Amino acid sequence: MTESSGEQQVEDVQVVAMLVRRCIAGDSVAWEEIVQTYNRRIYNICYRFAGSADDAQDLTQEVFIKMYRTLSSYDHTKGAFVTWVTTITRNLLVDHFRKTKQDRMTDSIDSTASDHEDAQPLSEQIPDQSAPPDTHVRQREVSETVHQALGKLSPELREAVILRDLHDFDYREIATVLKVPEGTVKSRINRGRAELARLLQRTYRQVM
Amino acid sequence: MPDLTRNGMQCNEFDSLLSDAIDGILSGATLDRFQAHARTCNTCGALLAEAEAGRGWLKGLTEVEPPAGLVANILASTTGVDTQRLWTPAHAPQPRVSWWEQVQASYLEPFWAVVRQPRFAMSFGMAFFAISVSLAALGVKPDIAWAYITHPVNFRHTYYNTQARVVRYVDNMRPFLEVQAALHSIKRTAPAEPGPDKQKERKNDTTQQPEQKQDRNYSQAGNQLILAGDPLGPSVNDLPVVSVTTYRRFV
Repeated sequence: MTESSGEQQVEDVQVVAMLVRRCIAGDSVAWEEIVQTYNRRIYNICYRFAGSADDAQDLTQEVFIKMYRTLSSYDHTKGAFVTWVTTITRNLLVDHFRKTKQDRMTDSIDSTASDHEDAQPLSEQIPDQSAPPDTHVRQREVSETVHQALGKLSPELREAVILRDLHDFDYREIATVLKVPEGTVKSRINRGRAELARLLQRTYRQVM
Repeated sequence: MPDLTRNGMQCNEFDSLLSDAIDGILSGATLDRFQAHARTCNTCGALLAEAEAGRGWLKGLTEVEPPAGLVANILASTTGVDTQRLWTPAHAPQPRVSWWEQVQASYLEPFWAVVRQPRFAMSFGMAFFAISVSLAALGVKPDIAWAYITHPVNFRHTYYNTQARVVRYVDNMRPFLEVQAALHSIKRTAPAEPGPDKQKERKNDTTQQPEQKQDRNYSQAGNQLILAGDPLGPSVNDLPVVSVTTYRRFV
């Protein structure tokens, strides 16, 4: 999470609690503020987990709809608002994963990334490293490769590394969101990182 | 992971400290033992290298930009508020929309979208046909109706014209009505005599029965409702006796 002082965190908690109270009272401006604040974070979690921008957009909307309906159940004494929001997001992502499990079971690192028959497998999408035409383009392609490799991780490992390495949650918060002990969280993060590295090494070795 | 002890540290302990080591919060003797174990244990050393590499890959991922209309869609799907303004940046000049375009967007477009659906098209077609036929039967002509709708002063003209026509009609009929009233007053003063037509009818009547009385009796007998459980109804003795003849069929 962001490293801020204790006072700042207390202030944030109070501000968020006030926003939530205003939302429950029917203040649409407060709700808009919450949406503006958290849509980016939730969209990124959904995008990294689901893998596609369309799915991420739909899932983000579902998360906010669920938030809007269950906002009165949030208790600021039990935890931070962002943890509560992330828990909702994670639960919806798990539901989404279960719905699309069959499709993912048939995927592999060398499977086609799209539905088109002429689409190249992931390993063939890596361009020649010897002479990159443009650093920016190259960076984008690497990011896309890592993103696709992330999608090949098991959901347990994926959600753990996404929350830790992409959204800087601490282990305790991840344990709260995933409802597992902190030791399990650490183990999943380590295994997830190692598995991702192995996938990418294998991919690049094929190219080289 | 094999549970081996190397340099005073087991692989399980190494695994539990791996996250802290990567996060850089290990120090002192624990860090020394951790590093020594990583150097001597191939499995744990490889795991440390892979975990660090994986973390490096993940840290290289940047945040993606949400779609432009995401916030507007969320607000529309939660609060139901139309937030078109959120689709464009706040500093961008807002296009000026006329009142007619607002009405069109708010009322006409949704209505037209419903009307265009095939399941409603036939219903609207039938309704239009029925209204057209009804108006044609009533003698309402579209061009005249349109003239009334566009110029409401026509209603006043029609009212005065109709009033003048009624007054003229009454004035024209006044002599005839006066003559008719005079004839009626003369008839009332003359003595009442039976008409010759009545007597002629009686002469042709050969039955010598009071027709009206007979009709009344038949009608009473035929129309009276007889209820089985009605104590006020006719008793069994009052009912007419009917002789029933059974014709058997010999085959």
